[in-house]
Amino acid sequence: MEILSPEEIIDGFKKALGDSFIDSKIYEQEVAVKKNVFRTIWVYVKREAFRKAVEHICKLQEYPHLAIISSSDLGDSVELIYHFTIYYGHHLEEISLGLRVNLPKNDLKIPTLTDIIPGALFTERETQEMMGVEVVGIPDSRRLFLPDGFPEGVYPWRTDETGPQDILRVLPGRKQK
Amino acid sequence: MTMEKVETTYTIPVGPIHPALKEPVRLDLSVNGEEIVDVDIVVGQVHRGIEWLGMNRNNPIQSIYLAERVCGICCVSHPFAFVEAVEHAAGIIPPERAGYIRVIIAEMERIHSHLLWAGVAAHEIGFDTVFYLAWRVREEIMDLMEYVAGNRNTKAMFQIGGVRRDITEEQLPKIRKSLDYYKSIFNQLKTVFLDDTTIKMRTKNVGILKTEDALKLLTCGPTGRASGVAKDVRQDQPYAAYADLDIKAITPDVITGTVVGDVYDRIIVRLVEVKQSIEIIEQCLDEMPSGDILTEPKIAKLLNTLTKAEGEGVGRHEAPRGEVIHYVRLEPGRETLSTWKIRAPTYVNLMAIPTILKGGQIADVPIAFASIDPCISCTNRAVIVDKRTNKKSILSGKELHELSIEKTRKLKC
Amino acid sequence: MSFKAFKRALWVYHLNTGSCNGCDIEILAVLTPRYDAERFGIMLVGSPRHADVLLVTGPVGRQMVPRLKRIYEQAPDPKMVIAIGSCGLEGGVFHESYNLAGPIDQHIPVDVYVPGCPPRPEAIIEAVVKAWVKLEKVEQGVS
Repeated sequence: MEILSPEEIIDGFKKALGDSFIDSKIYEQEVAVKKNVFRTIWVYVKREAFRKAVEHICKLQEYPHLAIISSSDLGDSVELIYHFTIYYGHHLEEISLGLRVNLPKNDLKIPTLTDIIPGALFTERETQEMMGVEVVGIPDSRRLFLPDGFPEGVYPWRTDETGPQDILRVLPGRKQK
Repeated sequence: MTMEKVETTYTIPVGPIHPALKEPVRLDLSVNGEEIVDVDIVVGQVHRGIEWLGMNRNNPIQSIYLAERVCGICCVSHPFAFVEAVEHAAGIIPPERAGYIRVIIAEMERIHSHLLWAGVAAHEIGFDTVFYLAWRVREEIMDLMEYVAGNRNTKAMFQIGGVRRDITEEQLPKIRKSLDYYKSIFNQLKTVFLDDTTIKMRTKNVGILKTEDALKLLTCGPTGRASGVAKDVRQDQPYAAYADLDIKAITPDVITGTVVGDVYDRIIVRLVEVKQSIEIIEQCLDEMPSGDILTEPKIAKLLNTLTKAEGEGVGRHEAPRGEVIHYVRLEPGRETLSTWKIRAPTYVNLMAIPTILKGGQIADVPIAFASIDPCISCTNRAVIVDKRTNKKSILSGKELHELSIEKTRKLKC
Repeated sequence: MSFKAFKRALWVYHLNTGSCNGCDIEILAVLTPRYDAERFGIMLVGSPRHADVLLVTGPVGRQMVPRLKRIYEQAPDPKMVIAIGSCGLEGGVFHESYNLAGPIDQHIPVDVYVPGCPPRPEAIIEAVVKAWVKLEKVEQGVS
């Protein structure tokens, strides 16, 4: 496995995905007294090429580490970011890679990754119950953190009308936010 | 003759039965005689909605104290990663002295957490005297943390842009004295844990996790390192003062020469990491640069900068249990965080439990489960349930713990 | 408080309704050789049926309410309940969350409250002693 620089990684994505590659950004910062550099890459792809992008990451390193899937409610769309880290195990060489996918709110579906990375199960289940995104092909779609009696259709991370505003617990004497 | 499959649901308390760490983790095991066939996990009992509170009610400085209470044992790891993420998002660079103080506090917490775990593991095998010894030894580092930071548990040392309290020249002699105490008893601890025949018999070849499985299931921290995955954020992508120190990820072959991935290897990794932490603290005390500890001491100005900032950032830290990641997004004009995502290490380590427990015996379940060092409140509680057979019978956690002690007694004879 | 000696040992059961574990490890530290509550006769038991005092920590999550009530009913009378930590008093820092079902005293009666996040082991020992005195008064029939 050879270790590529961030610019080479982005060129590899552009070649592999073609039109579905939308944008990219590199973030660098010098750390502490010796001024070593800390690097993060953000890559923005279309939903159709999402699984191809993940397979391309698996070519960069055989078992990439998927840390978490974070989701943001942007009004009329939901943006998912898959946080990967590659080249771990080598001193000062690791690079964090964030893969962004944008989903319109009237069609919140994304394919699963559990056949490539079995450890993605918990984080996909959490995205399903907290944001309302449907993960197509997930082997186990039970609720993860919310209790069984939690009302359906209420998604805690959303900022629109499906948020949990009605079931908050307000202390006596305080206004509800 | 077909073997009768008995479906049994166990309520297994994680941690010592007789004291407090009874987190209701429900493991539903399908058993075939004495052997475990399948495991199911169910999570959710400690879900407090922390990310929602950070996105809707708190400004970023208040969220530091909320992040501290995600878990009471690793209460330096979460603020550390959170503050790094906000600094990357807002473009604030802390001074170098603050980075060194952060590392010293984080390493002190690692020593306390590993000694806590060592006591819990000894209790699960049945050695209560070793449990009391480990927790008595731990009190020394708790006193040191109280002397340096002000409190035993929740220390409130972190601030966006630096740290809130300094380590002065007068405090150095006492810190060095405590570290000398730990260096002097380290060999004794090693003999108690690694050279004892009963511990070897109970932990060798129990709860094995192979390297390939650890890579696929995204295991991190000492659990992953004991299986050969040499992944350590302090070595790979260092931050704060770790970037100046050359830290090596510890795998069990430094002592035994091979990697097996059983419970004994996990004990080795954690004990050697205690020694590594002591050396890191000493190196930091020698090399600490002078200067400020905060980029912006006035809180009103800091809040103003954060409300106008725009960007996103990822903060990572190597907690005693694994890798902690926080993702933060800031929007201009909004006082609360726009997006906040926390991932604690037990979140991913729990997915390795079915692989670790399958094929093992019921009496080994407490020690094998405790060996991944689960911090269930970090994970928002996971309950693992797996049903498969027809008959149902319930064993309480106390009976399970007694099965484990009984096995030790049989081995000793 | 004037008493000559406690008549018997006090057995304590700990219950975690969803806390962050900070209060729980301080309760554990009370039993270790540094603070050593066992020299007073205080012992932790593994089942609520043997307990005199219940130590309850944590803000009560929705899933934990039935379990809390069941354990309270399993403990035999006379019993005392101690709520440890700020989370048990009004929710602590999590007070407006969507997954909390109220402080502990909305579900079971509480006798001693220990504020702090987490409270020091010395405060926990004092709370247990106060509960002990109250328990002895109840047993003797003094109001």
